[in-house]
Amino acid sequence: MSYHGGSHRRRHHHRDDGDPREAHETPEQKLKATILKLGEVDPVQEVSQIASHICTQPSSITSTVVEGLRIGVTEEPFKIPYYATLLRVLSNNSPTTETESIQGPEFGKQILEEFWKGFQTYLDQLAWREIRLCVQFFSHLVAAQVISSHSMYGLIRAIVVVLDEFGVSHGRARQAVRCASEGLMIAGRAFTSDPNTNISDILDPIRTYVHSASSPKRLVLPVASVLANTEKSEVAYELLDSALEALEAMHRSGFQEALECFPRPYSDAAIDGSPIFDLPSVLVPPEAIELEGISNDSEGVIKKGDWAEFYVRIFDNEVTPNISTPIGYFLRCGLLDIVDIFEVNRKECARLLLEYPKWSLPGTFQGKASEASSGDGKWQLECTVVESILGQLFLLPESTHKTVYYIALVTELCKLSPPTVGPAVGKSIRRMYGLLSDGLDAAVADRLANWFSIHMSNFNFMWVWKEWIGDLSLPQQHPKRVFMRRAVEYEIRLSYYDRIVKTLPEQMQSPDAGVLPPGTPGPSFAYDDPASPYHDAAQNVLNLLRGRGKAEEVMAHLEELKNTLETTDSDQNVTSVIRSIAVQALLHIGSRSFSHFLNAIERYLPLLRNLAAGGISTASGSAVEARNDILSAVLDFWKNNKHMVAIVLDKLMQYQIVDPTDVIAWTFAHASPEVIGVRYHSCSTFQWDLIKGALDKANGRVAIARRKLAGLRKEEDENAARAIASSAATMDIEETKPDPVAESPALTSAVKALTSLTKEQKAALTHAVDGFRRCLVSGEDSASIARRVIEQRDWDNRSNWGDAEWLSWETWSWYLQFCRMYTPYLRNYAASLDTELSAQAEPAESRFQDVLNLAMGQSL
Amino acid sequence: MAHVVPSLDQPSNYKDSQSRMDRLRQQDALSRSSTLYIGNLSFYTTEEQIYELFSKCASPEEGGGIKRIIMGLDRNTRTPCGFCFVEYYTHAEALACLRYISGTKLDERIIRCDLDLGYREGRQFGRGKSGGQVRDEHRSDYDAGRGGWGAQAQRAEIERRREMEERYADAQDGPGAVPVGGGDWKDAGENPLKRARSPDEAEDVSRDVRTKLEDDTQRM
Repeated sequence: MSYHGGSHRRRHHHRDDGDPREAHETPEQKLKATILKLGEVDPVQEVSQIASHICTQPSSITSTVVEGLRIGVTEEPFKIPYYATLLRVLSNNSPTTETESIQGPEFGKQILEEFWKGFQTYLDQLAWREIRLCVQFFSHLVAAQVISSHSMYGLIRAIVVVLDEFGVSHGRARQAVRCASEGLMIAGRAFTSDPNTNISDILDPIRTYVHSASSPKRLVLPVASVLANTEKSEVAYELLDSALEALEAMHRSGFQEALECFPRPYSDAAIDGSPIFDLPSVLVPPEAIELEGISNDSEGVIKKGDWAEFYVRIFDNEVTPNISTPIGYFLRCGLLDIVDIFEVNRKECARLLLEYPKWSLPGTFQGKASEASSGDGKWQLECTVVESILGQLFLLPESTHKTVYYIALVTELCKLSPPTVGPAVGKSIRRMYGLLSDGLDAAVADRLANWFSIHMSNFNFMWVWKEWIGDLSLPQQHPKRVFMRRAVEYEIRLSYYDRIVKTLPEQMQSPDAGVLPPGTPGPSFAYDDPASPYHDAAQNVLNLLRGRGKAEEVMAHLEELKNTLETTDSDQNVTSVIRSIAVQALLHIGSRSFSHFLNAIERYLPLLRNLAAGGISTASGSAVEARNDILSAVLDFWKNNKHMVAIVLDKLMQYQIVDPTDVIAWTFAHASPEVIGVRYHSCSTFQWDLIKGALDKANGRVAIARRKLAGLRKEEDENAARAIASSAATMDIEETKPDPVAESPALTSAVKALTSLTKEQKAALTHAVDGFRRCLVSGEDSASIARRVIEQRDWDNRSNWGDAEWLSWETWSWYLQFCRMYTPYLRNYAASLDTELSAQAEPAESRFQDVLNLAMGQSL
Repeated sequence: MAHVVPSLDQPSNYKDSQSRMDRLRQQDALSRSSTLYIGNLSFYTTEEQIYELFSKCASPEEGGGIKRIIMGLDRNTRTPCGFCFVEYYTHAEALACLRYISGTKLDERIIRCDLDLGYREGRQFGRGKSGGQVRDEHRSDYDAGRGGWGAQAQRAEIERRREMEERYADAQDGPGAVPVGGGDWKDAGENPLKRARSPDEAEDVSRDVRTKLEDDTQRM
């Protein structure tokens, strides 16, 4: 390579350190890259090539080989059987003695000794995914007769011990079950012939744990959970239940089924002698002890709830393998590991998922539809992949990564192979839509609508809406109707009204069909109509705002207006009218765009603050009522645009005009839909969006305050340590205890802020619980219907349900989501939220309380 | 991760060509930035559409969310010219967009996202000679979402277009032209605008402490 490119180029080159295309790779880097790229053409062939290459290297290459294997095993788990083969080959005695070679049992042992150190580090960090994938690797090495089966048995036993720990968290136990089951499924055949192992000693604790851990499951069932009162459902499979079932099936067959689950390329490699390596014995370290309060303050991280993982079954057993069978479990977990690991690059992830058959046994998947020779394979790849991803997307209370990741991943799959992935997506949508009548959880249904809209937005909004025309005869609040409305609403948000209308069949375009929102999503200024008694008054306010009048001027004007109105119409609540005029006029000048809205409220913050405090130029009157009026004015103004209502409320909280508690209480009281012209006490999806927005705001503020406080404390500690160090250095050995450093003003105010925000957080949660309680058990109008729905007295009669029943059902569903979603926060306030039940509590009331207790981590 | 494949949230070759920061400081600023430059937007895409898509990457429970959106405007005509800035409260949210949103469609166009150094005054306007974005001046194809060849637009788009062209007619220059978006919660005990407390409020929730958001306005 020459460097005659002139000074400019040379400088440029010098600065761009480490361009990967530059040919500066060391032999070590090259070898590592080769190991990681294993299998670009033919993995078996490449394994022997890599092995022969390694054999010619000096023994100092060991650490590079280990590094390559460690990354390969933990980041490309689909290659694990081939990495095991590589190690098998490297451990074999060198076939020739003429050339010097590092190959042989000693070399294999050396590699494993060093690999083990990396595994020990994963164990110390409790990096469970890495631990599990290493366990898979070790198990394959047992099958390949590199590692002794009794030492592998010891490792799995050590992991299973976790299940017997007192008060083990479900998250930790789940990981342990997965590690042990997956290890056993792979190494089980070797165990059966080893008298030093006893498979029951692994299987029994797993069985005991999986069977006993059933209590919190019913809170996270995706379909008709508590209502149906069955934990076993044919439409959803729990991960650990499935693992156990697959394991038992394997056990029954003497682990012969393993031969059909994963490739064992090492079985062809020449094997001489007995296993060369014994895994050392280990202890799984305990979870970091959470000291009450302290760890919370310093980390600012809320530990999320540990829930069972239910996967919705979308396809038949002929199309995709059942996750409760050995092969189904293996494929599902293999695909999900890819989805998880490659979250950083969805495009590569999609490519790898569609290339998965390359890493599974021949005959596992059908050939491509275009290649007519599809009789050989069992399952449809695209359906299996899509079902796996959707299983993650629909996990309750929330998916591991942001839902938009899974959505974007499906989009990438469709872009890679439209003719095969497209139909799988279409079938999935239809299947999920069908479940809407059978108790699909409201949170899952809303995620479905969200996925649908984003997906359609990426594919020209093409959907065969007409197949759902028949469902227009269902009641307005039936989940299928709610879904259609939501899906269309979300599509409109991402696009625009006229565009989406064109995608709908005629029957759905009419306003009476109740699919489209009642009007185009524009603003509705209540005082536009010249016939309105306040038309002129509102125009004056509007003109003042348009002319950028000062906040004080506007306040004075409103005060004057109030006095005038009070003399003319005495029967009206004049203060409410004034608030409505002021807020709507403000929204009006900010109605052109989100930025216009922000500009308008930033310009008139003092005005808004005074309105929110209950007064106009002077504070007086009830602040709660004032804030209710403000919120109602927002809903009134944006009644045709629910998206804007959510945006405006979010910013009103951000600018601290209203508090999260205000929003929650108001939403329950004033934002519910009507049933036969009367407000029905409920929590619709729209209301839930607002409530969730408020709860997240309250929780987010506490999170910020915690982080800030932790930062200040750390700074303070460092200063103190420095002070001690410097005083010790200058003042000899004299026993000078530095004065306890007085708290800085910043620290004091940070503590104060956290206290105040924590109170607000608690108040927000309490308001939400109260709101739900009023809708579901203690309200006057809705409660009798709600009680019947909660007590599932007529779930089987749901085809005769009307809007009220479905609304109550949806409310109950959102209540469940509230409880499971906010478990970590609710737990903190368990003492104050937990209300004792009276002895004669009605069934509905005790169900309500049961769910809350379950969420707060209290056994029933 | 990222040993095997490159992560999509690494900074790309996008940069603010007029920034005077040196490279190291730019890198440092980008590694903490919560602002994104969004390119290849349709001229008719609204802030609300952008808000909807980008809220999918927001983490309000961590104290995040969309702070503000600054629509890129043609310097002369004051109409959108195909780019914008989205500012979040946290860096992690901006990174999530690079991984999950960049390269997907909004308003039927594939948009691109890049980490940005952050909005500075004047950056809301196009830098091309004509007033729009420089890249549009090198374009010779027909692009309905970007104003066709010139003035022709499809009939169905005319209404949408008219609304859009009028929307930002009031766009201003200079300091304070774009909103701040609301800062963190602040406990300003000395705020003169004390809110009266009503008896039915939870008595221990301190409501009389309000933020002085004006401070933020000055800060920007």
